[in-house]
Amino acid sequence: MNALNAQWLIRSQSIVTLAAGMIYPYYLLFLKNAGNSYSKYGLAFAVFTVSSAAVSQWLAPRLDRHGVRMLAASSLGMAAVMLAFPWVMSYGLVLVLQLVMGICNAMQKMSERLLIADHTQHGSRGVVIGSFHFWTSAASGFAVILGGFLIDWLTIDALFYASALLYALSAWAVWRYGRHGAGRAAAAESQRAAHRQL
Amino acid sequence: MKKSIALLLLAALSLYVYVRNDVPDQDPYAITDYSRLHPVKVERVVKGQEERQLVAIVQEARQKGLTVSIAGQRHSQGGHTYYKDGIVVDMTSFNRILAVDPARKTVRVQAGATWKDVQDAVNPYGLAVKTKQSQNIFTVGGSISINAHGRDIRNGSLIKSVESFRLLTADGQIKQVSRTENADLFPLALGGYGLFGIILDVTLTLADDEMYRITSDRMSVGEYSAYFQNRVKSNPDIRLHLARISVAPDSFLTDMYAINYTVDRSIPLRGHDRLNEGERLVIPTKLMFNLNRSFDWGKNVFWDLQKRFFGTQQGTVISRNNAMRSESGFMEYREAGKNDLLQEYFIPPDELSAFVEDFKAVLRSESMNLLNITVRYVNRDEEAKLSYAREDMFALVCLFNVPLTEQGQTQMKQSVQRILDAVMKHRGTYYLPYAPYASLDQFRAMYPNYGVFFNKKDEYDPEHLFMNYFYENYRGE
Repeated sequence: MNALNAQWLIRSQSIVTLAAGMIYPYYLLFLKNAGNSYSKYGLAFAVFTVSSAAVSQWLAPRLDRHGVRMLAASSLGMAAVMLAFPWVMSYGLVLVLQLVMGICNAMQKMSERLLIADHTQHGSRGVVIGSFHFWTSAASGFAVILGGFLIDWLTIDALFYASALLYALSAWAVWRYGRHGAGRAAAAESQRAAHRQL
Repeated sequence: MKKSIALLLLAALSLYVYVRNDVPDQDPYAITDYSRLHPVKVERVVKGQEERQLVAIVQEARQKGLTVSIAGQRHSQGGHTYYKDGIVVDMTSFNRILAVDPARKTVRVQAGATWKDVQDAVNPYGLAVKTKQSQNIFTVGGSISINAHGRDIRNGSLIKSVESFRLLTADGQIKQVSRTENADLFPLALGGYGLFGIILDVTLTLADDEMYRITSDRMSVGEYSAYFQNRVKSNPDIRLHLARISVAPDSFLTDMYAINYTVDRSIPLRGHDRLNEGERLVIPTKLMFNLNRSFDWGKNVFWDLQKRFFGTQQGTVISRNNAMRSESGFMEYREAGKNDLLQEYFIPPDELSAFVEDFKAVLRSESMNLLNITVRYVNRDEEAKLSYAREDMFALVCLFNVPLTEQGQTQMKQSVQRILDAVMKHRGTYYLPYAPYASLDQFRAMYPNYGVFFNKKDEYDPEHLFMNYFYENYRGE
């Protein structure tokens, strides 16, 4: 296995970090304005982590079979949340969206780790993980600078919509190439198994 | 290789953003106002919480020889709300609605309450504000300190709807001020730009909330004064009015349209008086306003779209409270080194078209980027010592996109002083809450009561505890 097999993963997840990086720091500002106190602000984050933790236990037994689906679903879920944010007018709804984002986060983080593991081999993971980290971080860097310009020129709502578009694009990329890539990984695995038997 | 290129690009982009934003108007540790001009360090910014605390601040400042400046939303643009090394009292948190009296039609609010807070409080009683700026984001204290005016053409400037207020003066005393109690301070503190003390709370008289039908008309600048006198002022059912003068190259300072809000008694208020929340279509409007700011063709397109938009509004109905909370999100602008700044000129109706001709000549030779002119009407109101409406006036609210660099500001100052010469030639005045481009002589010529105003300031506040850049720029001597 080499980095090539994980390329679709790196690309699709770079789009995810582009979408996330673009919105995240500005989202924090938005969230701070939603709560009048820091404890309310803290609660919004707690809801995110609690839902993420809780759903992980439901996802765990299904992860191995549905990794790619989960990754695509997490992007789609985030796209929906990004579309909803500009229309939110109450703190209660912010909490609901935080809860949904927690679920998406669990799906994304767990399936991402699974797929990295699936597409790498013990003893040669460093390069792929390094590549993965580099491109996702770099994408985040470009995104956050771009996001600043976009808000200055348009509005924070426009940024939410742009982020939604990128999330949707990444869902498509995961779905389109992930199944293919996963298929290839499975084929390679069965080939290896055949070799071992010989 | 690809990674090195990506890293290099990212580093270069970061450097570009750093350099681009490394200008004084983007310094997060300095205090300025909406203009972002003249940022300085202050001793501290204190949020106003309660009366005792404000009294203690005034006493502390006196003991330590510090100055006190009073800030609301900081939308004034001439350094009225802060002073170098002084204490800034941020009144936005001192914002409770204290009492609504539906029988007397009054509301009593703390000075940091915004017009939105007031509207939210009085709307359920079928009441509305008499006079205010078009937007509702400003604090009541700030608005009466600049003696604001707006779309209402029947209720004069804001001072007229103030019944009384309580003022924390430089000696640490709290004084009840009205037209009968401590009456001397009334026309000084209102339109006094925070130089006479901290306004704690205000009692405002209110109007009835009513249903209006919107109509709009198009005309040329030459026709506007007659139109206003014959069709608007003479029709007592028209309560709110505003007009716009084109800044688009194709119809520069000739084309106008006017919007009237006429009482429609056939529509019941109940069921139609829900307050509008949030803003619509900010993204496309902001994009259009950016094009208006950046290109001549953008100005033409924006002007055409505005006319078309108000055509579609023809005949729609709106409550007074909703008509008095217009949108502002699309005008937000944070570009480093540049800003959109207001200037406002008051011109007597019979002088309007002649003034606009002179104005046009100055604008053409000075290459200023003028983004918008709205026209309001204010009745003669000489109550405030620094009154701008010595007779009935049209107010031309002009929004300019200006560079904030020293050179750009020097240029702007020269250009504005030329405009102000034209204003004076046509018996006009200018508005004081904006950037201090006027020369001292121009200020004195257009505000002949300046001597009384500043002498009273020295009398009530001999140690100059309440301080700001308006005082520093225009005290003279």
